[in-house]
Amino acid sequence: MRGQTHAEWTKLRTGTGAGPLLLAVVALTAAVSAAAAAAATCPAAGCSHDVPRLGLIGVQAGQAVVAALAVLAMGGEYGTGMIRTTLTAMPRRGAVLAAKAIVLTGVTLVAGTVAVLASVLAARLILPGNGFTPESGHPPLSLADGPTLRAAAGSVLYLVLIALFSLGVAAAVRDTVTAAGVVLGVLYLSPILVRLVQDPDAQRFLYRISPMDAGLTVQATTGLADLPLGPWAGLGVLAAWTAAALLAGGLLLRLRDA
Amino acid sequence: MEATIEVAGLRKRFGRVLALDGMSFTVTPGRVTGFVGPNGAGKSTTMRVIAGLDAPDEGSALVGGRPYRSLRNPLGHLGALLDAGALQPGRTGRDHLLWLAHSQGLTARRVGEVVELVGLGSAARRRAGGYSLGMRQRLGVAAALLGDPPVLMLDEPFNGLDPEGIVWMRGLLRSLAAEGRAVLVSSHLMGELQDTAGHLVVVGRGRVVADTAVEDLIAAASGGRVEVRTAGRPEAMAALASAGATVAATGRDTLVVSGLAAERVVALLTAEAVPFSEVTTYRATLEAAYMDLTRDAVEFRAEAGAFADDARASTGAVAGREAAR
Amino acid sequence: MSTGTDTAAPYRSPLRAGRDGFARLLRAEWTKFRTVRGWVLAMGAAALVTVLLGVLLATGMRTVCSNGPVEIRCPALPTGPGGEAVDDKFYFVYRQLTGDGSITARVTSMAGQIRLPDAVPGVRNVVPGVVPWAKAGVMVKESGEQGSPYAAVMVTGEHGVRMQHDFTHDTAGRPGKVSERSPRWLRLTRTGETLTGYESADGVTWAAVGTVRLAGLPDTVRIGMFAASPGHLTVTQGGISGSSSAMRFAEVTAVFDRVGLEGTAPAGAWSRQDVGVTLGPDGLPHHPGGLVESGGTFTVTGVGDIAPRLGDAVVETPLTGVAIGLIAVIVVAVTFMTAEYRRGLIRTTLLASPRRGRVPAAKAVVIGAAAFAAGLVAAGVTVPLGTRLLREGGTPVLPVSALTELRVIVGCAAMFAATAVFALALGALFRRGVAAVAAAVVMIILPHILATASVLPVDAAQWLLRVTPAAAFAILQSVPEYPQVIHHYAPAAGFYPLAPWAGLAVLCGYAVLALGLAVFLLRRRDA
Repeated sequence: MRGQTHAEWTKLRTGTGAGPLLLAVVALTAAVSAAAAAAATCPAAGCSHDVPRLGLIGVQAGQAVVAALAVLAMGGEYGTGMIRTTLTAMPRRGAVLAAKAIVLTGVTLVAGTVAVLASVLAARLILPGNGFTPESGHPPLSLADGPTLRAAAGSVLYLVLIALFSLGVAAAVRDTVTAAGVVLGVLYLSPILVRLVQDPDAQRFLYRISPMDAGLTVQATTGLADLPLGPWAGLGVLAAWTAAALLAGGLLLRLRDA
Repeated sequence: MEATIEVAGLRKRFGRVLALDGMSFTVTPGRVTGFVGPNGAGKSTTMRVIAGLDAPDEGSALVGGRPYRSLRNPLGHLGALLDAGALQPGRTGRDHLLWLAHSQGLTARRVGEVVELVGLGSAARRRAGGYSLGMRQRLGVAAALLGDPPVLMLDEPFNGLDPEGIVWMRGLLRSLAAEGRAVLVSSHLMGELQDTAGHLVVVGRGRVVADTAVEDLIAAASGGRVEVRTAGRPEAMAALASAGATVAATGRDTLVVSGLAAERVVALLTAEAVPFSEVTTYRATLEAAYMDLTRDAVEFRAEAGAFADDARASTGAVAGREAAR
Repeated sequence: MSTGTDTAAPYRSPLRAGRDGFARLLRAEWTKFRTVRGWVLAMGAAALVTVLLGVLLATGMRTVCSNGPVEIRCPALPTGPGGEAVDDKFYFVYRQLTGDGSITARVTSMAGQIRLPDAVPGVRNVVPGVVPWAKAGVMVKESGEQGSPYAAVMVTGEHGVRMQHDFTHDTAGRPGKVSERSPRWLRLTRTGETLTGYESADGVTWAAVGTVRLAGLPDTVRIGMFAASPGHLTVTQGGISGSSSAMRFAEVTAVFDRVGLEGTAPAGAWSRQDVGVTLGPDGLPHHPGGLVESGGTFTVTGVGDIAPRLGDAVVETPLTGVAIGLIAVIVVAVTFMTAEYRRGLIRTTLLASPRRGRVPAAKAVVIGAAAFAAGLVAAGVTVPLGTRLLREGGTPVLPVSALTELRVIVGCAAMFAATAVFALALGALFRRGVAAVAAAVVMIILPHILATASVLPVDAAQWLLRVTPAAAFAILQSVPEYPQVIHHYAPAAGFYPLAPWAGLAVLCGYAVLALGLAVFLLRRRDA
């Protein structure tokens, strides 16, 4: 397993353009978060913004690049036929997927942490200038604050789970571009669907099962009582999606001819 | 407009690698011109420059007297097979030819004709993703012939063909040349061009090493030698030596004679009543002639392996090519 | 070395090539597209998923109304002379006017009350106040029917004197609030179909506010004083879909005196009508208006608004699934380009068409046309079908003109096409399918989702929908913003910061720019 992980690390490092993509994860996440912070204002009378969540909104953009990275780590091999080389070198296909998952977890953890810290820092620097002051009920963002720390750490885990979910989908779908479309479609479908339905019960149900809405609940720090499910439970929903995708991908990888 | 390919003084550099270094030659109609050299000698790059895919740093490449990129019905001027693997797997062979035909204002009827011509038959209606390399080569040749061009340029067309396919390809190339077309065929294996090419352009390290008719090359390599099989070797040697020939024994009952034609050898031995069972004019193989020729160019053969764009010559080596830049 | 020994004459082809031109390149690219079954199917799926999501939404929506204690099918929305749905709810104190005439009155006070969000849950939090667009003034109206033509001169809570007619038209007069110390005189004269509004600070010097023509105004009309107050809008951030808005009860009470009529029958009492009043669950009028008359002073209280109606379902509501359909379009368009690079097919393409700028252009036309067709089918089915299903489910849908509905449908198709071209160009720029798909989704779909379904504040959301390609979603907006109507004009509520065609133009601009860059690079790079 160690050898396989090392091999996958080498492939990711050398082949798929992972470097630029990881940079893009950080840059896009931080840029979108900073832009949102710059555009938000809080009148002196106070405002009801969920400030940590606002400062981490770039995660919704960064996840698209994370998905692309994961899809390329898996699907790139089908495109070039390299999967045959890989499977010849490592005939245990489940182990191949596991090795890829480990490497992907590692790099996403690093890139996600940097991206989230940069977002928090940007929000911390920008927001006080836009009226988010202690007087209006919004002390500067700080990781010493429990809910903020949970939102930040949860966002990193969210990105890792998105990477693994994408890996599973890519293993199942094989064609890289289609896999990217499926992942992004599934992710971005849920906020649209939640808005689509009018019935509040159906809406809460959809929110609870949707990977993106439920998963991002981990960023919520205000109005928790009104949300259909708790922060960690929300991340759990995404974890369940991820497990299902990896399981399906692993099974199909094993059953199909390369 | 003469049906030719004229390449003059091509230079092209990929990063630190000088891929073409003053490549110049002309391909004339009515015969098959072999374009040979080791992997990485610049054959594929030259062909891509001719087809307007790569821009040379210096020099020019003309098809029928004009740059390829200025042609209005390009496939009616030059048919090229550069990469047989360049297919959309989900599209049938026939549909691949159909879009090419439409791009030249040709009809589906012409597609049917070339499918028959290359013997693709019913396979043309299957998805190209399932094709063997040989079928892809046939499809690539069909694409090259689609516009019925007076000039053809095929990069390694023998790759992946079975023996039957090789025989077919040789026959096809010869008949195309016999119709008056200029045919340029690259190969890194000389033997493939045996009995096919009438002319050779031998390249190494980005420039032309030899530009010669095959007959001249073989004659030069053969050196006018005659082999004799005889039971009376000493008598034969004496008789032939006295006639002014250089004679060498190569076995218990075989000799090699230089400086005398075969007819003269037969006449001399008959006159001296020396028994012989066989008199043959030695004819070098093309492979041997090529080796003979390139033996002088040892320095490029030895260094050829250092070419970073070795992979360029093999089919479908897009990744390698991009890595080379 | 022999070169002159060849005997064969150079080959001459008997084939007659067709005329050179862009058309045959288009045909070749079209053949390429249609012969890969997966692409055609995926483009069909883009249309299908849009239709299915629309039908799912429309059938899932059920609306019932109550009339007193009973639930009833919601009545049709009243429509104004222009065909748009209107709110026509106010308290009217009037006389009949036959032929020409006029009304003059002085407004000396405007006061009212507003219900704010409950400070203590369950306890109504009503404070004194007047909302900015509370109105009181003089009016000529065709009949007592909701939606009938009218013209009115009025004072408002915070927008000064206005002259309004037929719900959508609004002309500003002098700014300023009314009070005992600074009253406002208003006059409305009728001459045939022409109505002219005047205002004055002292009843001596009059200034015309505006003149309007109400075509087809009957000889006998109603003329009188009115009061109306739209609800108080509060917007809360947070919750499932970013922000939510609530309209709460507000009423206005205006005091009129020095009322003068010309042209009416001199005798007779004032009639009164609480236009559009609804019944509450107890069977009594819900928030009724009223009139107190005492010695030439009229104190009129009104609730409601006389304005185009907003906030209901609209014809583009069933098109909410378009974003998902667009992801399928993006995948196909990107693949249509990157498939060329992935297997070196681009070299065959350039052999057949060495003039390089033409290849991306032809591909763009083909994929754009295919996506346009998919979008046209998607919207052409979803809009009429979804609207019908919504109405069958009792949900009122704000009516729009056939031309506007056509613009939404064709605009949706155009958005599909421009998205496809943009994605194709990104495919040519990146030459890697996954990166191009991610980039296209991040630029087109993500801003829309952030702007309409996230915690992003409204001003940031509007900024996003101005500068990113997602601005194109504006083409789907069928009902415009009205400055004289208070509403939650946020992307989440279906209101976009750019005009429909301007929004589409932003996406088209991105597409053209990316395509131009792709052509430039293809010309420069070796294939």
